[in-house]
Formats: sequence, C-alpha cells, structure tokens
Amino acid sequence: MIREYNILIASVGGQGGITLSRIIARAAMRMGHKVIVGETLGMAQRGGPVQSHVRIGSQVYGPLIPEGRCHILIALEPVEALRAARYISPESTILLNEASLPPITAILGEVSYPTLREVVEALNRIGCGVYHLNAEKLALEAGSKRCLNVVMLGAYMAYMEAERLKIITMEAAEEALRETVPSRYLEANLRALRLGYEALMKSMSSSAY
Amino acid sequence: MSGILGGEGEHRLLMGNEAIARGAVEASVGLAVGYPGTPSSEVIQTLSRVADRIPMRVEWAVNEKVAVDIATGYAYAGLRALATMKNAGLNVASDTLMSVAYSDVRGGLVIYVADDPGAHAGMEEQDNRWFTRLSLLPMIDVSDPQEAKDAVVMAFELSEEYEVPMLVRSTTRVAHMTSIVELGPVRELGRTPGFERDIRRYTRASPKWCMEQHERLNEKLKLLSGRVDGFPVNRLHIPEDGAERGVVASGISWSYLRELLDRYGLWGRVAALKIGTVNPLPRGLIERLIEGVGEILVLEELEPYLELHLRAVASELDLRPNIHGKMDGWLPRVGEYTPELVERALGRLLGLELERSNREVEEARAEALKQAPRRPLPLCPGCPHRGTYTAMRMALRELGYKDGEFIVTGDIGCTILGMHPPFNLCWTEVSMGASIGLGIGLRYAGIDKPIITAIGDSTLFHAGLPPALNSAWHRSRIVIAVLDNRVTAMTGHQPSPTSGYTATGGEAKVIEADEVLRAMGIEHIWVADPYNLEEAKEAFKEALRCDGPSAVILKRVCALVARRMGLVEQPYRVDPERCTGCQLCLRTLACPAMTLSPEGKAEIDGEACTGCGLCAQICPVGAIGRPEP
Repeated sequence: MIREYNILIASVGGQGGITLSRIIARAAMRMGHKVIVGETLGMAQRGGPVQSHVRIGSQVYGPLIPEGRCHILIALEPVEALRAARYISPESTILLNEASLPPITAILGEVSYPTLREVVEALNRIGCGVYHLNAEKLALEAGSKRCLNVVMLGAYMAYMEAERLKIITMEAAEEALRETVPSRYLEANLRALRLGYEALMKSMSSSAY
Repeated sequence: MSGILGGEGEHRLLMGNEAIARGAVEASVGLAVGYPGTPSSEVIQTLSRVADRIPMRVEWAVNEKVAVDIATGYAYAGLRALATMKNAGLNVASDTLMSVAYSDVRGGLVIYVADDPGAHAGMEEQDNRWFTRLSLLPMIDVSDPQEAKDAVVMAFELSEEYEVPMLVRSTTRVAHMTSIVELGPVRELGRTPGFERDIRRYTRASPKWCMEQHERLNEKLKLLSGRVDGFPVNRLHIPEDGAERGVVASGISWSYLRELLDRYGLWGRVAALKIGTVNPLPRGLIERLIEGVGEILVLEELEPYLELHLRAVASELDLRPNIHGKMDGWLPRVGEYTPELVERALGRLLGLELERSNREVEEARAEALKQAPRRPLPLCPGCPHRGTYTAMRMALRELGYKDGEFIVTGDIGCTILGMHPPFNLCWTEVSMGASIGLGIGLRYAGIDKPIITAIGDSTLFHAGLPPALNSAWHRSRIVIAVLDNRVTAMTGHQPSPTSGYTATGGEAKVIEADEVLRAMGIEHIWVADPYNLEEAKEAFKEALRCDGPSAVILKRVCALVARRMGLVEQPYRVDPERCTGCQLCLRTLACPAMTLSPEGKAEIDGEACTGCGLCAQICPVGAIGRPEP
C-alpha cells in the first residue's frame, strides 16, 4: 500500500502537461491506487508555465505537493524544472526534456536563458539525480511534436522499471493512453511511448548515475 | 473510467467542476445555465457534452444575471435548475439573487459559484461567503470533488424542502482538483411544469408582502439551522481523551489539515472541526468545540469569516478561548493557503517543529528558481488581437500620437493581453463592460486625448451594451474597439452570441456587434479584418477622427477555434537569404510561432503557424511568404 507518492509535471502551456497528468492519474487508478491531481495554471493555457501535481497514496488528501516532497519531476521543458524547485529535494529524481522553449524576451536577448547544462547543474546542486533526453526529436520521429508528453511518459516507465517501482505498469499506461488520446493520434502516441522508454533505458544503462 | 455518466457505486476520476456536473445529473436537474468564468466554466462544458443523453437543457447565457433569471423562471415552474458562475459573476447575478431569496422557489434552484483565492484567473479575491450575510441565503462550501457532487444533490433537496435558493461554493483549488468520486443514484423526478399566479410570493412591490417574505426567509434559515450539525459536510472530531487544542477548517484547508494529521499521527492530540455549511453555521458543533478546548486555530482562505463567527459564539457562551487565525496575524488574508502555510500554523498551535528545513537545499532551490526567467503571457500564434493591437498602434502613430498621448481602456478576457509588451496598450481593467463607461468618464473629466475602449464580443454582449448605449445617447467622443473573435475565448472558447451555435452544438442566431451598435444609435461604425493591417489601421484612423461615438469591429475567429475547426491556413516561411535579421517581426508581433535561428534570422515553426500573415505584412524586405496554394 503506497502512503504518499508525488509526481510533478512541469511544462509550458500547450505542451500537453495536463494531458500527461490525466494519463498517469488514470493509469494509477487502474492500478487500484487512490489518486489526486492538482493544477497550477491560472491564465497559462496561453504559453505560460503549468504545473500538474499527481499525488498517489492512502495518506494523500490535498491537491498540491508539499514543499520538497516530490518524488519524480517530469519536466517537458528544462527551465520549467527550475521553476518547480520548491517541490524537489535531494531525494527527488528529475526526467528532463532537453528541447527548450525560450520566451520572446529570451529570444530577443532581453533576459538570459539557461542552457541545458546550467539547468542540470542547478538541479544537481539541490542534490537531485537528473536524466535527460531529447523528447521533442523523438516525438517528431513518432509522428508529431504533440507526442512529446507521451515520450516523457515512456521515459518515466523506463525509470520505474529500472528502480523496480510498481506505481503503474506498462499495460495500465497503455490503457490510460487509449482512454485519453483521440483514436486518430493513438498509433503515434504508442510509438512515442516506446521511443521514450527505449531512449531512457539506453541512457540509464550507459550513464554512471 | 472517465466521464460523468455511470451507475450508482461506480468510481470516476473527476475534476471538482465535473463532480458538480455529476451532482446535477444525479439531482435530475432539467436546466443548467451559466456564463463562462474561470474557475467555474467546466460545469456547463461537461454537461453540454452529455446533455442529449440525460436529457438536460444546457446553455450559456449572455451574462450571470440572465442565467439566474432564467434558472429562477425554470424553478418557479417547479423544475430543477442550476446556474453557474465565477466569483465576480455573483456580483452581476446578485440583483436577481437578492430578490429571489424572498421568493418561495418551488423547484430546486442552486447557484454554483467558484471563488479564486490567489487570483489565478486575474480578478479580485472576492470572498463570496459574505454573500450569505447580504442575501441570507444558505451556502455549502466544498472541500473536494466527492463532497462537491454530494453537496449539489443535497442542495437541491434542501432547496425544495425549504423552498429557498441554495448557494454551493468552491474555490479554484477544489474546482480544478481531480480525484476519485463514487457515483450516487440518479433521482427520478417525473414532474410536469406548472406556474400559478401568486403575487404575494413572486412580487416585492408591496412593502407588507415584502416584509412578510423577509420574515419567512428568516424562519426558513432558523429551521435549517437546527439541522446542519448533522450534515456530512460538517464534522467534529474530538480525541477519546479530549484535547486542549482544536482546529477549525473549511474548503481546501481541510484537505491540507487531514493530510498533516495523518502524516504526523496527530489525530489523538487535537480536536478538529470541519465546517461545510457557511450559512447556517453548525452552531452546536462550534459550541462543543469551544466548550471543549482552550485554544483554537481557524483555517479558512481569504476573510476571517468563520473566525469572526467563532469569536461571536464564544462571547455569547461567555468563554474566552484563545483563537488564532487572521485577526491575530497568524495567517494572511491575501492569497491562497498552501500545505506549508497550514503546516506552520498547526506546528505553532501544537508547539511542534513539523517541518524539517535544510538550509543548503533551500539556498540551492532559491538559486535554481532565480535562473528561471519569467514567461510573459503572449497572444497565441494567429491571434486576431495581435493584428488589432498592431493596427491600433500604427493608426495612432500615423495620426501623430506618441505613447501617453492617447488612452486605451481595457476589459475582461483575452483582449486585456494587449496591456503586455510589445503592445503596451490597455491602461485599465475593471469589470465586464467597464472599458466603455470608464472611457466616457475620462472624457467627461476633460481629458482631450483620443480614447479607445478595447472590448471583446462576448464581454460587449455581457455588460458592454448599456454603456455603449449611454455613449450614443450622450454623444460621448470615444472609439469602441470590439475585438470580435466569435467566441468567449479566454475561458475555453465557449460560444458567444456571435458564434452561431449553442453550448450543445445546436444552431443559433448570429448576432453581429455592428448591427446592434448601429441600432443603438452609434452612427460611425467600421468593420475590419484584423489580419489585414492596412484595412484595420485605416478603420481606426477614420474612427479616431469622429466627433461623437464611433466603433471599429475587428472581426476574425479566434485562432485556436479556427485550428480546431480545421480552418488553419498554410503556414508562412522566412527566406533566410532575404531576411536581414532586423527582428522587426518579432519585436512588433511577439508571435510564439517565431524564433531566431542561430544565425540571427527569423524562423517560423510550421506546426505552430496558423497562416495569419501579419509577419509578412510587417517584414520591410519581403522575406516572409508562402508558396501559392
């Protein structure tokens, strides 16, 4: 029986972070877990930061992950992982999409935008383990950039397998995907799931971490 | 496992607002009507998708007052009606609500209002619990989706039993939280509508009748008051061996408190009172708590509503418990509560160090956060408002006005995004439709600058028509810019009177803003396409030269709706050979579909571009184009 397990999905509006939280929550419910999802988005459907809190376990009641209690942070954009810093601690693991989405102010050079390396270093300083992959590239390979969120889900599945975590199984994830994604996009998403899974498996077996 | 339809005992993963919708299904509501507003919109949206299968009439009204008027008529006929709105929506609806409180509704009438501590949706942090003191109406404040669903079912039962409208309130955190809900049975009503003339109940014009009605309302509240202690939304926990300290919690704070009491094993050390009925309050439970403990922490967001009432009850009992909350500065009156805030307050009450803080980790976190630059809220790729605001700027510049030499009053909705760079145009945002009245007032004050009032089509029809009529009546010299994107966009593209379809996808009459404004007496009106900068700019220039009220209607469907309908045009491309890297397109338009290549040339993301063509019109060297179809 899981008491408390917290997944944070950090994204930019339009990247599918909310849909990803739905898929994970539905998969968790299929596994018989109690699950709660909270969202902080405000007016942010329009390209602003979005944080989805997926909370699993018998001792979970509130929709927000308390400070530092995030077990796994899935960041669909590198800098959004930094924005979620308050939720992570040395016990957290971070799965990072490498492809960044700088805002216009950064594109025009009005503000500086951290590189992937700077992001990873800042997260390492908090004490977190970080895995990263180019989910955008894999999503395009699967059929559309819009599958980026499901590539990251695939990566999370690989992480769970390596860590022998049984929060959700591949079957439950696939069923939740079928339940959530419109049927015409299902094939591409199933490809994305596999590509994300394989990519993280590969990088975990080759990295020292 | 998704969706709100299903049999008793089934479990569903539902968002708070979806649970409210499910409650309406279980209560056999015949009419659900509302005006879109974050965080309440998903109730009507959810119901609109299943309306034909229930069946239920599900509609968006032009504003919240009209929604409650319609719902009231429906309930007068003996059937059940639900009206939904955001926090400020209750202000609009209150004119009717205050009066209907005095009527005996025959069918159940429930008003759902979603408040917004933390101002996530960018409006006031109005605490609508106070409306119960103003209207005397009963209100249930919910803590999670299960309770939200159950509260709606209960509210309809009570509304009919006491013949009184009921308010159900949630907050953003509850309305937008998703958890597992056990479905209840769907009640069979099988009623036929009927309405009999009874002016003693349904009019207020006689002072004698009006006061009789007022008296009756007070009696209803008194009767209800005797029962609320036993309602499942109110719960008092007292540890077996008693406790010296207690906590009162409501709304989302209750969830945070429960979690902490579970995590740290504190149920045996503290009394806990959960309050779900804001009006009438569970007086008996409150008294038992006050009589049982010497020190009480009150957890409620926004105003110290429960805290004040707790102090009043204590004073009546002639007891002096030490009450902590907002009035002694333990907790803030602004913003929403967080798990940490509640944890700190609970720790302080119990004299425990609950949080473990690690200074190094905290510093590393702060450092990480500092490296994340703010994301300005951009207009979407292809947003017609980008064309409108660009053309507005061009017109003002060509007429010789510099920044500060003109005023643009803004309004509610996506149109207000014109306040951000690179447009920097809207100066004010007050309430639905207020842009126009503010413009009139500024003109009356003697300000001689051009005044443009920027308002969306849905906002215009909601509350912008009376001030527009006022401007025509008194010949006020303002330019009403109607950013007509054919939907209520900001809240999720619900239909507006311009859309031509209803909430459930049925056909509807199309109402055109220019025809309505012309009929109201505004004589100078231009209709322009915001994707055509030259046309829109000329329209603004003409309008700005008028001596009386004028209007420019910028008509073009919201780009997100166009995409969903498959109306997206072929994307544009930048010719890197011809692009000089001047960045004028990016600096003028701030389109999220554009970026700079490593060589400093403009680039367009073909998947994000909707083909609006503004960048091609801005480019001074003709580097942006698309192949002929």
